[in-house]
Amino acid sequence: MKTKEKIISTLQKRIIILDGATGTELSKRGMPQGIMPEAWALENPGILKAIHAEYQDAGADIVYACTFGANRIKLAEYGMRNVEEINRKLLLLANEAVNNRALVAGDIGPTGGFVKPFGKLEFEEAVAVFKEQIRGLCAGGADLLVIETMMDIQEARAALIAAKETTGVFVMVTMTFDQSGRTLFGTDPLSALITLQGLGADAVGVNCATGPEGMQAIIKSLKPFATVPLVAKPNAGIPKLIGKKTVFTMGPESFAKEAKKLITAGANIVGGCCGTTPCHIRLLKDAASAMRPQAVVRKSVSALSSARKAVIIDAQSPPLVIGEKINPTGKKSLQQELLAGHFSLLRVLATEQEAHKPALLDVNVGVPHIDEKKAMQGAIESLAGAVTLPLVIDSANPCVIEAALRIYPGRALINSISAEKEKLRLLPIARKYGAMFILLPLSGKGIPSSLSERKRIIRRVFNEAKRRGLTKDDIIVDGLVMSMASNPEFASLTLKTVEWARRVFGVHTVIGLSNVSFGLPNRQMINAAYLAMALRKGLTCAIADPLIVRLLRKKMIQKIVSRKGAGPEILRDCFPGQSQRQIKPLKKIARIEDKIYQAILEGNRDSIEALLKEGLAKGLGAYRIIEELVIPAIMKVGDLFDKKIYFLPQLIAGAESVRKAFSYLKPHIKKDFVRSRKKHLILMATVKGDIHDIGKNIVILILESNGFKVVDLGKDVSAQKIVAAALRYRPDVVGLSALMTTTMVRMKEVIALARKSKLSVKFIVGGAVVSAPYARSIGAEYARNATDAVRFMKGLKKAKVQAWASKS
Amino acid sequence: MMKPLFFTNITVPVPKKEIYRRLGYRDSVTKIALRQKQEIEHYIDEAAAMIRLRGASRRIPVHKATRAYVALKGDIVFRSKHVAAILKSAEEALLMGATCGSTIMRAIKKYTASGNIIKAVVFDAAASEMADAGLDWIMRYVNQDLTRQKKYLGRKRFSCGYGDFGLVYQKDIYRLLRLMQLGVGITKDFILVPEKSVTAVAPVYSART
Repeated sequence: MKTKEKIISTLQKRIIILDGATGTELSKRGMPQGIMPEAWALENPGILKAIHAEYQDAGADIVYACTFGANRIKLAEYGMRNVEEINRKLLLLANEAVNNRALVAGDIGPTGGFVKPFGKLEFEEAVAVFKEQIRGLCAGGADLLVIETMMDIQEARAALIAAKETTGVFVMVTMTFDQSGRTLFGTDPLSALITLQGLGADAVGVNCATGPEGMQAIIKSLKPFATVPLVAKPNAGIPKLIGKKTVFTMGPESFAKEAKKLITAGANIVGGCCGTTPCHIRLLKDAASAMRPQAVVRKSVSALSSARKAVIIDAQSPPLVIGEKINPTGKKSLQQELLAGHFSLLRVLATEQEAHKPALLDVNVGVPHIDEKKAMQGAIESLAGAVTLPLVIDSANPCVIEAALRIYPGRALINSISAEKEKLRLLPIARKYGAMFILLPLSGKGIPSSLSERKRIIRRVFNEAKRRGLTKDDIIVDGLVMSMASNPEFASLTLKTVEWARRVFGVHTVIGLSNVSFGLPNRQMINAAYLAMALRKGLTCAIADPLIVRLLRKKMIQKIVSRKGAGPEILRDCFPGQSQRQIKPLKKIARIEDKIYQAILEGNRDSIEALLKEGLAKGLGAYRIIEELVIPAIMKVGDLFDKKIYFLPQLIAGAESVRKAFSYLKPHIKKDFVRSRKKHLILMATVKGDIHDIGKNIVILILESNGFKVVDLGKDVSAQKIVAAALRYRPDVVGLSALMTTTMVRMKEVIALARKSKLSVKFIVGGAVVSAPYARSIGAEYARNATDAVRFMKGLKKAKVQAWASKS
Repeated sequence: MMKPLFFTNITVPVPKKEIYRRLGYRDSVTKIALRQKQEIEHYIDEAAAMIRLRGASRRIPVHKATRAYVALKGDIVFRSKHVAAILKSAEEALLMGATCGSTIMRAIKKYTASGNIIKAVVFDAAASEMADAGLDWIMRYVNQDLTRQKKYLGRKRFSCGYGDFGLVYQKDIYRLLRLMQLGVGITKDFILVPEKSVTAVAPVYSART
């Protein structure tokens, strides 16, 4: 019996015990800090062999060779090359130590580099790095491989692909989740499990970062979805920094007691990570020997994953929506972006859809004359950081799908595989990368127009898939929706296909919803009604605009699925009294004056012009509107902002609505009124060396909305330029802004130059690091924020009026 | 001296709470209408979609630290009491940088120019907080890596342009982190472009087991 089969067979009978920490044991036995453990172990083989032998004596079925960091990238940091030879030698040392009384695992840790899409390391380069290490491990006689302490799911995938493409031995993969329950890259345990077991890991689990108590919930949550045995290799508790010492606080007895709960939770393979000793493993072995392993509960699972989210496809749940909007067909701007190799719009489309809570996102980048493979890979890399949803790889080109699956950091859904010869080529590729696929009932001989024909094609593709090791859980049958405009019979045929595939054949189903209404009016209603009918037939997923599908709320869907009824009834349920629907205002404001005041107060820029028009028509007069409504309202906004009842966006919204109001009322204001409201002028600039101008822009907006005239000199403005502008415009005040302490000092230079140029103008300064004492020290006034600046300007105005009054 | 590490797709949850705080939102004081909240949330989501958070880090041994300056291996000297205090008993200095990319800055400029200040301001706040979250992420990553090396990262970090840490040192940090490889430039006044790019220094301590 081969070692792999032996491991599988043993796992059915008992718990397999792994060794404990090697690094901390090497440190205890004299390894100095700051050196490469692999190098020190090679120089001190006796010490390393003693550690391996002690773990084997303690009861470990598997010991990890000391090769955790023995990859090209890590070794190079210490000036070491000859990767294969180092791995081979370390493997041989472990084999000599255990002398066939335990299995030896080739240990593969992270490279320390970051793999695309999360880092700069090319995916294929990472695979090559791991393959090199694996060749050395195999040459040394590794019984199995362990990929461990992975934080980046993409790096774990690269290592696993390297293992699977190099050797046929048993491969375990364990990830490290921090106390938030995710890896640093945001991967949750279920997503990792779905991805890694799909990709062919023989066991999946968790190691390091927490003690056994921190892993119990993770193992328990994974068990129902695991198609492979689960591994747990916890630390001896969470390390605590006491003084300057890292201390693992959990002793062997407590460790063994807590680790038993891991086995109860469903772990099949257990051991120890940082801080554990041979004593921990001995007691763990004793505790586990009396326990029976929990069997793996399922052979397959309908589930998809991204790097940060898993989606379980369950026929009992409400239907899954697959967002359809990332498709350049008919979207000229998206086409242009993709052709230029840009993905900003694609990311916007993705996040917009995600806001409406679809389960998956379909990604199609097919544009004439595009390098579709490159574009699809770029899209996947770009979306990996933008959205959490698993992706559906949608292309007519099998090569594009293959390239995408290789780098996709999760378990993807292929859209689609049909019975056409070149498409069937994708089945072994789906198997290799663990992807699910949409089965399209097409055979290359036109659209099948009968249910029997569709059934025949579905069965044929399924049989081919089964031959490749895929199961019904890996398949979602497409009902093949055609527009009712071209042939109404097809709408009914699709529903029959869905019903048969779900209820008789026993697979999940999907429809491309919006196709049904193509070329017809009231598409939204038709789509919703058709979706409702398909749900009644057992539909699992719909490729649709997530916004439209939200019309069918969860409760409505449950009602549709559970009760009898025909399409028209469902339609009425979906859109109850739509034509008579009226929006009832929460609180009716009757007077137009109040409406205008309220619109400014609420920053309602969309309605202000219509309200002003109504106000003028009712004879309010522009002067009265400004003096009695607009100005008091914006002052109230400023007051609410000062009290922190409003925050910045509300202040700005109020100011923007005032700006709109001024602009609208300008032609209606009499000239004498303009003269009577002679505006004070303020010159504004962000000082030299500072390119941060958002704060200055806010101040300008608020000043303008309060009736002051502003000349904006921009950002990164030299003292000479500011003083020259001040001499030219003769403003009442010069406002200076700076964000950083290092640029703040330029304010002093401006004021000094102004005084030297005999300018007596007042200065007001502000910015993140500017303070009142600093302002005083340079002879300026200080404004904490925009409303402070307004208050200052108003004070100036009042002072002028008083001065004028006393003179006269 | 270790080589810089590059992170080309830092994935962090959008720090909405911090964005709101930066915009002046105060829990249990600020009141906001549903319509306004929806508008702001939409802008934040739109900004997040435009931000591609990337970063770099590099650990450099501390050669000497006095009260007035700190010297790192490779003749790099930071004359700053604040930084010297932070790196006083550190074994290494962690230099780090993060950038939100240029797309978001183009959008901020566009909305400022078109008068949609509210959108520009929300975008600006979102980008600032995302860049900070990028540095937080780098620190968490480095700290996890350090644990296995019996070292740990101090909690504080310090950026050029604040206190007495002159902006001039951003030039050294920029060069050492090779930020040009992330599409970041530096002006003659030592300001990073695109604007929503940040650098910082943090201490790495040794912890004997």
